[in-house]
Amino acid sequence: MAHLKSEQVKDLADNLLRMTNGLGNYRYENSERLSEDENQRIKELHEKQLSHTTELYTKSAVLVMDDVETSLKQIDTITLETQELYKNLTTVQTVLDRATSVLTLAIAIIGLDPKGITASIKGLLAKTA
Amino acid sequence: MSSSLKIKILLLPCITVLLASCVNLKHVGKFSETSIEGIEKYETISPGFSKVCLQDCQQTYIRKLQIHNTDCDCSQNQKADSITQVIYNATKGYFYGLSHLSQNELTNYKTDDFTEALATGDFGPITLNEADVKAYSDVSTLVLRAFTDGFRRKKIKEYVAQAHGPLLKLLHFLELNLTGNLKGKLEVQKSSLKNFYFDFIRDKKLSVYERTKFAEDYFQRITEIDKQQNELETFIKILREVAEAHTLLYNNVSNMSTEEVKKELAGYGRQMNKTISSLRRM
Repeated sequence: MAHLKSEQVKDLADNLLRMTNGLGNYRYENSERLSEDENQRIKELHEKQLSHTTELYTKSAVLVMDDVETSLKQIDTITLETQELYKNLTTVQTVLDRATSVLTLAIAIIGLDPKGITASIKGLLAKTA
Repeated sequence: MSSSLKIKILLLPCITVLLASCVNLKHVGKFSETSIEGIEKYETISPGFSKVCLQDCQQTYIRKLQIHNTDCDCSQNQKADSITQVIYNATKGYFYGLSHLSQNELTNYKTDDFTEALATGDFGPITLNEADVKAYSDVSTLVLRAFTDGFRRKKIKEYVAQAHGPLLKLLHFLELNLTGNLKGKLEVQKSSLKNFYFDFIRDKKLSVYERTKFAEDYFQRITEIDKQQNELETFIKILREVAEAHTLLYNNVSNMSTEEVKKELAGYGRQMNKTISSLRRM
């Protein structure tokens, strides 16, 4: 089983289900001709086969991990990079806000407005923090 | 010639050049958003592997008419659910990244404060009228956008190209786990229910009323499972549409902003929305 790929296991499960359903259909179509004992034996056998089939589907789903490991790593790296880039791009807004604060300070200095200078410095400090 | 007119004459060619360099990536953003909406439907559809396992296990105890000591080992199925969830998260995460990068508002930096500071400032002998200030501000925004849009466009190209192979693989295995394996388990469950109900329905020792009730129960449970299987099939249709649309972007990675690509991508978007709506109606 260790050498089988998830898709191969899934195909095996599909085939097993077809075979199992064949057994079930045989019982449903011949129920009148089968003895009680025969009917019971086929019923149990059918149920056991179904139980193995569902287990195979689960096995295939678990084996998918081996097949996607590299792809998962690649996609995660790309996603991380896009997030980083997004963060860097949004900082341009910070730069712009800061530049605006400096400009307001400059205007206050040109206008020799002490209150305005104090308020601008406070604003600038708040933006830097 | 007035200073205002001179400024406008000087600014006009700059604005034209800059506008041409700003490529709108809104359609890529829109495609990413629709893909996210479609992929996130995973959270609302059908039961997972663990739930099917638990239902099967309970059915075994129902067969035995046993309600005491009814332990169910579904650890492998929990593992299958975790793996499917990991693939789902990675796929969704990629489209969130692509969506953030291609959204227009990212570079729609607010320049209102900047404009106001320029307009109300006293710059000694220089006085700026409001219209000129607005023009300066618009140009600075354009410069900023031209730079960042060019950079983003380059990056999006890189990401789409790098991610295409792994993304298709993840979508393929998500499909394998959902329409292959999970749907397969549900198919087994249907067979198992038929195996169980068949003998009750044909048992002549039971009353007709009891046999009818068994038949009703059987059909009700089969209908529920059919619904879950249909949901899975429809969800997979969305994943296939996402894969096709991403392939379109990948094949046109150098000219993803042409009208033709925009149109085709919008077509995929409409198709995806239709499939999402049909899933909602189920």
